[in-house]
Amino acid sequence: MRLIGERFPDVVSSLWTDEDTVEITIPGARNLEVLRTLRDDPELAFWMLADEAGVDYGPGVRFEVVYHLYSDLHPAWLRVRATVDRDDPSIPSITGLWEGAMFHEREMYDMLGIIFEGNRDLRRLYMSPDYKSFPQRRDFLLPDDAADSPAAGVNPLERPETWDLVRFANLGPLNPLADAGALPDASAVVADPAGDQPEGSPVEAGETDADASRPR
Amino acid sequence: MTATEPRETRIPDPIDLDAAEEARLRAAAGIAPAPIAHPGAEYAGFEMVGIPDRPPQTDRERELYTLEEGEMLVNMGPQHPSTHGVMRLVLKVRSEVVTDLDVVLGYLHRGIEKLCENATYTTVLTYVDPMDYMSGMHNEHAPALAFEKLYGIEAPPRAQYIRALVVELNRVFSHGLMMGFLALDMGGLTPILYSFINRDEIVDMLSAISGQRMLFNFFRVGGVNFDTNDEFLSRLGTWHSKQLKNLKDNELLITDNEIFKARTKKMGIISREDAISLGVTGPNLRASGVPFDVRKAHPYPPYRDLEFDVITQANGDVYDRYIQRIAEIKQSMSLIEQIMDKMPHGPVQAQVPGIIRPRPGRAYAAIESPRGLYSVYAISDGGPNPYRFRMRDPSLITLQVMPKLMPGHLIADTMAVMASLDPIMGGVDK
Repeated sequence: MRLIGERFPDVVSSLWTDEDTVEITIPGARNLEVLRTLRDDPELAFWMLADEAGVDYGPGVRFEVVYHLYSDLHPAWLRVRATVDRDDPSIPSITGLWEGAMFHEREMYDMLGIIFEGNRDLRRLYMSPDYKSFPQRRDFLLPDDAADSPAAGVNPLERPETWDLVRFANLGPLNPLADAGALPDASAVVADPAGDQPEGSPVEAGETDADASRPR
Repeated sequence: MTATEPRETRIPDPIDLDAAEEARLRAAAGIAPAPIAHPGAEYAGFEMVGIPDRPPQTDRERELYTLEEGEMLVNMGPQHPSTHGVMRLVLKVRSEVVTDLDVVLGYLHRGIEKLCENATYTTVLTYVDPMDYMSGMHNEHAPALAFEKLYGIEAPPRAQYIRALVVELNRVFSHGLMMGFLALDMGGLTPILYSFINRDEIVDMLSAISGQRMLFNFFRVGGVNFDTNDEFLSRLGTWHSKQLKNLKDNELLITDNEIFKARTKKMGIISREDAISLGVTGPNLRASGVPFDVRKAHPYPPYRDLEFDVITQANGDVYDRYIQRIAEIKQSMSLIEQIMDKMPHGPVQAQVPGIIRPRPGRAYAAIESPRGLYSVYAISDGGPNPYRFRMRDPSLITLQVMPKLMPGHLIADTMAVMASLDPIMGGVDK
């Protein structure tokens, strides 16, 4: 705690502790500078990013991105709370310091809509790419909260087209169950139904169902 | 139909009709024939599904889906038998060698964090069970610790020891299954059967103490649900006396296998620096030589009194990650012995009301799950349910190493490397 006070004299007022955590609060724009010092200073040496979580304190208040750091030299977890403006939710990405922040930041972008500047791969992590809402915001109401009206721009019953699972049901080509015979046979039935074949007509020599399905 | 009429020998394919029509129109207008959209599309006869039909959203996505000469995309999953759940890997391959890889998640996403924010503190512990379904006890451990910290109580000593006991048992079965799945993904069908025999003994034991086989719902805020009973203790004694022999059998079957060694040594090496930077934790991190174990680094109650060392391996390849699991099973066996020796008497649950309303505040609790650092960050606003409930699942973060790890490996080794990381999709997708 003394070290943190020396390194960051302007955040001392926000120091807070419980039994095994030390907590500081910083403005979001300073997160890179503070975290780099915490990681690279040999007396602090917080080498491990244990967690990076986004918190929504409700409409009109703020977002927070909360980092938990671990160091061998100190007996406590260090919690760094970086505040983010809720109307303009953007904060520098820390993927340059810890690459492992990537999935944390993608999840926060997906769930809360926080933009991480400098993140090379800020896609949705869980929801489909054309999903528009941010489910973990406080004003995202669950469908059974019928008494509450949804806030602007948030639709809890949104159902993107890509949730149509037919698009993703891809059997193979490396699926062991889709063995070589099964797929040509299946398409042969569609392309060459028996009812349309004249009765009693001989099949030409060398022509099998599998041949019929091959592209011509 | 008479024999004199010309007979069509095959029903024309509508796709071909369109193509013929298009070719005719193109020829009439003097335009060159249409190029084939994707190599292989003509043979496959259907649209390639790997490439998204929308502009890339990020630099990384553009890089991934831009194919150079000789490269193609192979879609693995989401229903692939060895993706350990519902998960999709998009592999960019050049002949048989992986050059890039994308992990596509979300097929199992249930919004457990959001569910928990709408549940009371005591019922949250039932929701987190199905997250990482191989280690339900660990899933309940971290929220219980976090809520106790928020509420300002501590579980009685006997409850803490029972917690450590069931958690270590759970670790043994999770690591044991990982050994079997690793062999299974490389084509060895036998070890998984023995792993499941061992696993069922532990699961029956946990069922005897908690009443459930997989979704235990055993932990409570301020203690555990039941004390140990005779059936549990007798099963524990029987199992403990033969577990080391079972483990040895399993080792003989897998570890000494020449094919297994050839396919795992020097395969999928995670360097020490990469492991730290990418947030890898747990056995995978220790296999890369970093001695980090939450039970030592931030010991939660019973582990302060137990003796154990942090085991590490040197190389960080698939084989080391497998050996690390075996070493940790043996370590857990010794921990279980110590716990049984030191188990104090007393109550197993503190006096806690059914609906608790902690004072406004924040609490962070981390535990060592079989897959690494599993932590919960809970915020209370004074109400009966958590204002924010955040879980850091180790398998999700560990999966980030796949794009780093796979370039240069064969497609067939993808599954071996992934099984060695031991991700559980229930936890990854939350």
